[in-house]
Amino acid sequence: MNTPDTSTPFAAQSLSKSYGAHTALRDVSLALPAGRVIGLLGRNGAGKSTLLNIASGFTLPSSGDALTFGTPVARLDTPQLTRLGVVQQEARLLEWMTVRQHLDFNASFYPGWDRSLESRLLESLEVDPKRKIVQLSPGERQKVGILLGVCHHPALLLLDEPMSALDPIIRARLLDALLERLRDDGCTVVISSHILNDVEKIVDWIVALDAGQLVENSPFDTLQESFAEWTVTSLNGALPARFPEPFVLHQQPGERLARLRVRTDDADAVARFAATHHAEVKARPLNLDEMFPLLTRQPKARA
Amino acid sequence: MPPLLSIDLHNGVPAYRQIMDQIKLQIATGLLPAGAELPSTRTLSAELALNPMTVSKAYGLLERDGILERRRGQTLTVRAVSDSEAQTSRTEPLRQHLATAAALARQLDIPPTEALRIFKAALHEKPSA
Repeated sequence: MNTPDTSTPFAAQSLSKSYGAHTALRDVSLALPAGRVIGLLGRNGAGKSTLLNIASGFTLPSSGDALTFGTPVARLDTPQLTRLGVVQQEARLLEWMTVRQHLDFNASFYPGWDRSLESRLLESLEVDPKRKIVQLSPGERQKVGILLGVCHHPALLLLDEPMSALDPIIRARLLDALLERLRDDGCTVVISSHILNDVEKIVDWIVALDAGQLVENSPFDTLQESFAEWTVTSLNGALPARFPEPFVLHQQPGERLARLRVRTDDADAVARFAATHHAEVKARPLNLDEMFPLLTRQPKARA
Repeated sequence: MPPLLSIDLHNGVPAYRQIMDQIKLQIATGLLPAGAELPSTRTLSAELALNPMTVSKAYGLLERDGILERRRGQTLTVRAVSDSEAQTSRTEPLRQHLATAAALARQLDIPPTEALRIFKAALHEKPSA
């Protein structure tokens, strides 16, 4: 593993976090690549929010190291904190303010607050700045949280389930806005979400957690090219009741026809498998929805 | 003039591959002639609502494969190819489709002569309006 430096937006080494008897993160080591959109995936309670909260310095590690912009998260200073953008699942907002007042309040902390970006986002996300925070619906609160997290051009943007209460039109506009930040600012975006259909549209890197442990840290392209569904048709005789190949992660066996979910980086795997089992194999790639259970539930199996 | 690309972000095929395949097909069909300029990474990623990394990966690989070339500064253009190269790139998509069709024929126990007859008939069919 490379020594984390200031160009690595976030890095962890043997990072663990416990809350009393509960272990939220267990021995996580990773370095996030800069300038990427990283999809942080995992089931409920996998440790996604804890990891994001540690990256932003809200929560401190129980053991191990966590470095944001190369600095231990406990020692992040004001200039470094202004390079962070944080959008929490349930935005903690100042309830008595109007949206306008809240934006002005937050803007006062950031020298780089971009009023033109702010007004473009107010329009595209359809937020009325005159409304009082206390009167907002969950979706509207989420939009305000996003505005407050991105208008200062952060170098590292951490989004924790930012879309759960947004309708599909607004979700699409949010994804566009994030891509625009990526193009204009070259920022690193980490986004945790269960709406995998949407995540799939912008991520180019996947980090997956399962029960507090890191189970995946790979370019999305690589995953798309290694996971597949194989439809296996027997050419003569019955197919085996169970395929023993270690790269077969999930199988629906059948005498004449079997459906397998596989993970292999070997370009010749299909041909070899077909020859071994006297079968025709038709492969199709998996989308993120289909890949997700294989990422987080299965132990890593590679051919 | 940007090529008309249509990327399906949910079919599991990496977006960079879809870009590469579609640009290759457009070159093979003459839609993108030699010397034609490709939109910048920035423009194309904005147009397709894609991560710029994805577009630059596709462009980088097409450049590596000698399909595109960078001219005069940064502009990416379609590289001129020899006739035999052009012929191969034109027939390659058909070859891939037929490989799938051949697999299906074997699964359905359709003998080669019968499969060829079906393909020949399809070749002579008038496209339906």
